[in-house]
This record gives sequence, structure tokens and C-alpha cells, in this order.
Amino acid sequence: MLKTLIKKQFTELFRTYFYDQKKNKARSKLSVIAWFVFFITIMCGVLGGMFVSLSVSLCRGLMAADMSWMYFAVLGLLALCLGLFGSVFNTYSGLYLAKDNDLLLSMPIPIRLIMASRIVSVYLLGLMYCSVVFLPAMIVYWINAQLSFATVAGPLVMYAVISVFVLILSCSLGWVVAKISLKLKNRSFITVFVSLLFIGVYYFFYFKAQTMIQNLLANASEYGEKIRGSAYIVYLFGRIGEADPAVSAGFVAAAALLFLLIWRLLTRGFVDVATAAAPVTKTRYKEEYIKRTSVSAALLRKEFGRFTASPNYMLNCGMGILSLTAAGIVLLVKGQALLAPVQGLLAEFNGALPVMLCAVSCMLVSMNDMATPSVSLEGKSIWIAQLLPVTAWQVLKAKLNVQLILTAVPTVFCNACALIVLRIPVAESLMYMLTPLVYALFSALLGLTLGLKMPNLSWTNETVPIKQAGNILIALFSGWGYALLVGGAYLILGALLGPVPYLILVCAMTVAASFFLFRWLKTKGSEIYASL
Amino acid sequence: MLRIEHLTKSFGEKIAVNDLSLHIAPGEIYGFIGHNGAGKTTTLKSVVGIQNFDAGEITIGGVSLKQDPIGCKKMLAYIPDNPDIYEFMTGIKYLNFIADIFGVEANTRRERIKEYADRFELTADLAQPVSAYSHGMKQKLAIISAWLHEPRLIVMDEPFVGLDPKASFLLKEMMREVCRGGGAIFFSTHVLEVAEKLCDKVAIIKQGSLIRSGTMDEVRGDESLENVFLELEAEAEA
Repeated sequence: MLKTLIKKQFTELFRTYFYDQKKNKARSKLSVIAWFVFFITIMCGVLGGMFVSLSVSLCRGLMAADMSWMYFAVLGLLALCLGLFGSVFNTYSGLYLAKDNDLLLSMPIPIRLIMASRIVSVYLLGLMYCSVVFLPAMIVYWINAQLSFATVAGPLVMYAVISVFVLILSCSLGWVVAKISLKLKNRSFITVFVSLLFIGVYYFFYFKAQTMIQNLLANASEYGEKIRGSAYIVYLFGRIGEADPAVSAGFVAAAALLFLLIWRLLTRGFVDVATAAAPVTKTRYKEEYIKRTSVSAALLRKEFGRFTASPNYMLNCGMGILSLTAAGIVLLVKGQALLAPVQGLLAEFNGALPVMLCAVSCMLVSMNDMATPSVSLEGKSIWIAQLLPVTAWQVLKAKLNVQLILTAVPTVFCNACALIVLRIPVAESLMYMLTPLVYALFSALLGLTLGLKMPNLSWTNETVPIKQAGNILIALFSGWGYALLVGGAYLILGALLGPVPYLILVCAMTVAASFFLFRWLKTKGSEIYASL
Repeated sequence: MLRIEHLTKSFGEKIAVNDLSLHIAPGEIYGFIGHNGAGKTTTLKSVVGIQNFDAGEITIGGVSLKQDPIGCKKMLAYIPDNPDIYEFMTGIKYLNFIADIFGVEANTRRERIKEYADRFELTADLAQPVSAYSHGMKQKLAIISAWLHEPRLIVMDEPFVGLDPKASFLLKEMMREVCRGGGAIFFSTHVLEVAEKLCDKVAIIKQGSLIRSGTMDEVRGDESLENVFLELEAEAEA
């Protein structure tokens, strides 16, 4: 039975990879392989690549100082953080809010099996994220160390322990969110607020981590002593990687014990939480004056309503709003101090700083991808939009406009803040302002195109179209690719042109690509939407 | 009001609707009967323009659905068998959204919302999110939203499922009111007693093909509709 439930979870999780909803048939084996290769390339190539260089820079130095435990402690903690960060936002909805709760609970399935199948999903998500850090760390270690049973087994045990700790922490937080949610009124906004606090703390440490790691390398032995003295648990944690049998056994036992505790906690209260209706305060309807609005305004309001109703949607697809705003404030407050060393690094490239900042701005813009899952999120209620006397293009335009509005405003703010600090000539300023906005248009059009190309209307958990869909992954990483291309190409070729002509060229190419996508959405895309 | 001519729709190799023709005049309540998977929902979805069809022609009020889908949609309303309504909206927001799309004036919509929500005893719950509604409440909301812009043709897929007896009675009354006002109703049902009492005309569909249609008297003769339906089913199978 558990196997069947897990298979069901996996079918949903990887549905996009196996099933082409547009053609209403299973993908070919070749297509499935291509999808998985693409996914693995993105995860390993882009994210993993970052941690390969970090592992390389730490490994040799710390091994030479006979402090491999510190190498494992640092990367292990990073893996723990990333694993938790990647999985925690979906744990609550993944464990408790699936639409098949009633169906499964009505069947003769023990609750522990339902929970076990869902925990497997949470575990896999956490494992995927912590692997991005710890797999490169292990490989780099194995390359540098003399291979033996201990050097191979130690990191593997630690990898397993980390993944279980990620699961425990993620499930604990999911349970806390579930308990709090049952008593909250404005759940969406409170969940978003708490999550943002968590993200803020995460990024605070993330940015501090750079300096901390550099310091660590410079004063490894001193820090080593300090950690042993005041944070002995961290030392022990690192010792798992060195295959200390007693320590490893202790951590494995602790992980098993904590897992049992959280397991009991989750299974005991599952029915209460999963079947509890939202804490609806009986709001009595009071008739009030209603103003008639235009069709486009009504469609836009509906799309905004969809976005703001779901913390999951806001957190996963609207991070650009916060990032752009925060980046603007940081630039205003600490701009000069932050940009001076970058300017020094880029001194040999003519006018590179504004272009690089432009690229960063585009990367932040790409963190807004609310248009991508907006088609799938229509789910079973898509018949309403198809039935209304409006064209499919009007509906799609509303989805597009939500992303454009929510991206353009913080982009203008962020760029205006940067311009105050940069003090560059008017033409450069204009292009600096324009390029991320043009990219915001392209990004929204591309996101919606991907949403139509890879729709999933039969989800039972909204996390699937919001976070786990292939189109979301492509939308996010294509944004990163665009930013890298804009920045990288300038260092290679653009410096010869100068920033203004280069950015004009970038804008022209982006506008051309946007025009192509716009035409497609208005014609073929609209046809696809109407026939979904 | 509604003309379906030689409608054909396939899903892969399966022919869901095969060369189906039906004419529904203004003032008629037309029942559509068939067993599960007979092609009723496919026909209804094609009529309301939320599903493409392979061949045939559908006209509503003389307007071709293929040539002017928006024009046709302005004249009709549809209630699906399972009212999956935007759960992130409150009942009143959903009704206002529909009214905005159909361009219903503020005063008119207020009057109609009040009238229909009072009739279905849903007024007190209009400020609640749809996610907190029961199946029956969602069905009532779908009915109110369908009536909100005074459509000339109302298409319904199993409209009585999930409604309490009082709401079912009200819906039947409202259907008759629409027809008295020159509109038309086309609905599918499994409840043959309802069809027998309510419909002016009835069509029976089996495996995508129309096996009998006409006025209630023409279709059933001296027998009950249930007997006729079961006999026709048996004949078609033989």
C-alpha cells in the first residue's frame, strides 16, 4: 500500500516529466530522459557548480591543517541550511493540504502510510537541495583524500544524517505552521510575513558566510579551538565526515530518535489538521455600493486575488518584489562601500559597472515568475475563464499584467536607487533604467509561454504547479542565464562597444524576442489556452 | 435559439459525439438524457464553447459559435456538473466578477444578486470565501451567477445534483420563468422523473448518437420515460 501511495506522490511530483498534458499523452522515453538530463544539469551545473568552487577553496587548506572536520562542519551546515530553505516552504502544504485528503482518508489506508508517503516527498525535496551542497563537497574530498573505507563511508554517513536532519527540521516547522494556521485569520499574509523573516535571517547569514569562510581559512586553527571550546556540537558534527565511529553512531541515534518523535507528532494530529476547515470567522454579508468595472480590470483583479490568496504563490513566485526593493535600499544605504571594490575589479573593462548592475537587476527581476504557474493554477476552474465572453488573449493579458506591474514598480525603484549612487551620464542612466524593464517584459512573456506550453490542470497540491513544475524551473534559470549572458558578453565583447551601445543592442534583441513571444501568445498561445 | 447540426467530436479513436443534430426553440426546456459516458457532457461543453468540436455547426440565436464565439457566449450561461468555482474569492466577489465581465450595471446587479441570493438563502454567506462553501452552496452560487446577466440560453449539466429539495424546486421555477420570458433551457439529467415533469422536449443519446428526440409525448407515447429510456437502451445494445 505504501508503495502505491509513494508511486502516486511521485506520479504527481514528476508528472510534467512523464506526461505531456498539451498532447494528452505520455512523453516518449527520449523526451523523459531529456527532461531529467535538463533538470540534473540545472541542479548540478548551475547550483552545484557554485559549491564545487567553495569546496575546492576550503578542502585542501583545511585538510592540510588536519582539520577535515571543519571542512565537513562548514559544508554540512550549509547543506543543512539550503536543504531546509528549499523544502520548508512546501512542507505544510505538502503534508497537510493535498486535495486528495478526503479521498485517502475515506479509504482503508492507515494514516501512518499516508503520512509516510508525503514525508518521502518532503525528504526528497530536502535531499535534492542539500545534495547541491554536499555532493560536490564529498566528491572534492574524495579527490583530495586517500581513498579508504573511512574516507568514503564517513562523508556518506554524514550525507545521510544531514538529509534526515533537514527532514526533521522541515517537518517540525511544517507542523508549527499547521498549528498556528488553524488559529490565524489573515493566514496568507502572516505566513508570508513569517516566511520572509525566515528568508531575511537566512540571507543575513548567507551574506555573512562569505566573510566568515574567508576568516575561517585565514585563522583555521584559532577558530578550530574556539569551536571545540564553545560549539562542541559543531566539532562533533564535522567529525562524522571524518568517520569517527562513536560520534557517527551518536548522530545516527539522535537523528533516529528525533525522527521518531516528529513522526509521532505528525501522525497523531494529522486528521485534525488535514480535515480542519480554515478558521472562517463568520463574516455576514452587508450589501454595499458596487461600482461596475471594465472587463480588463475585472480580469486583472481576479489574477491579483489569486496571487495574494496563496502564501505559497507569493513566496515562490514573487520574491523579486522583495529582492528588488531590498537591493534598492541596500544600494542607497551602503552603495558606495559595496560598489567601490567591484569597480576596482572591473577597472579594466570600459563602463562595466552599470552593465553588471543591470545584469544583477535582471537576475532579481527573474525571481518574479507569477505568470508561469498562472495557467496551471486555474486547475479545474478553467472552465469559467473559457466560458466567459472574453477572448483567451484578454485572460492571458491579465496574467501577464500582474507580473509586469509587480515587477516594473520595484525594478524602477531599485534602478532609481542605483542611479543615485552610480551618478552616470544621462544616456547610460536611461539605458540602465530601460534594460531591466525590457527584460521584465520578456521574462513575463516567456513565463506565460512556458505556462501554456507545459500546463498541469490536474494537480492535487498547488505546490506542484508553483514550485515543482518544469516550466517554473526553466523560467527561473533562463532568467539567470540571461543575466549571465548580459554580464558575461559585455566582459568579452561589449567593452569594445561601450555600455550605451551595448545595452541598446541588448534591449533591441530582447524586444525582438519579446515581440516574437507576444505574437505567439496572442495567436497560438491563445488557441492553446482556449482548448485546455 | 440553439441549433446543433451534425455535431461530431472524437477523443483520439473514441467518438464521443457522432453526427448529432438538435434544435431548441425559444421558450423550450429541453432535457438531454443518456447513461454515463454517452456524450452528454461533451455535447454541452461543445455548445457553450469550452470545447472544440471536429465537425458540424452550432448556432445560438442565429449566431455561429465557430465564427463568433464571444457573441454566442454573451447570450448563454453554463452550469457544469461539478461547480469548481474560484476558491480564493468570496461569493460576492465571484458574482461581481461575473457581472463585470458581462457588463451588468451596478444597480441591476445589486437587485439581481439580492433577489436570487435571498431566494436560495445564500445572502448571509456571500461574504464567505468560496473555499468554505459546501457543494450545494457552490451549486447555488453557480446558478445565481448564471442567472445574473439574464442569458437567453442556459445550459446545465446535472443541475439538480447536490441541491436540497427547496433549492431544486426553486431552480425548476426559475427555469420555467426563463422560458416564459422567451429564453431556452438545455440540460442533462439522470433523474428521469424530473425530465418527465419539467421538459417540453427530450433527447436520448447513446454512445454519442441521438437515438430519439422530440416532445415528451412523442418520445414516451403511453409509457413512462423510464421505460422508454430502458427499452431504447436495450434496442441500441441489440
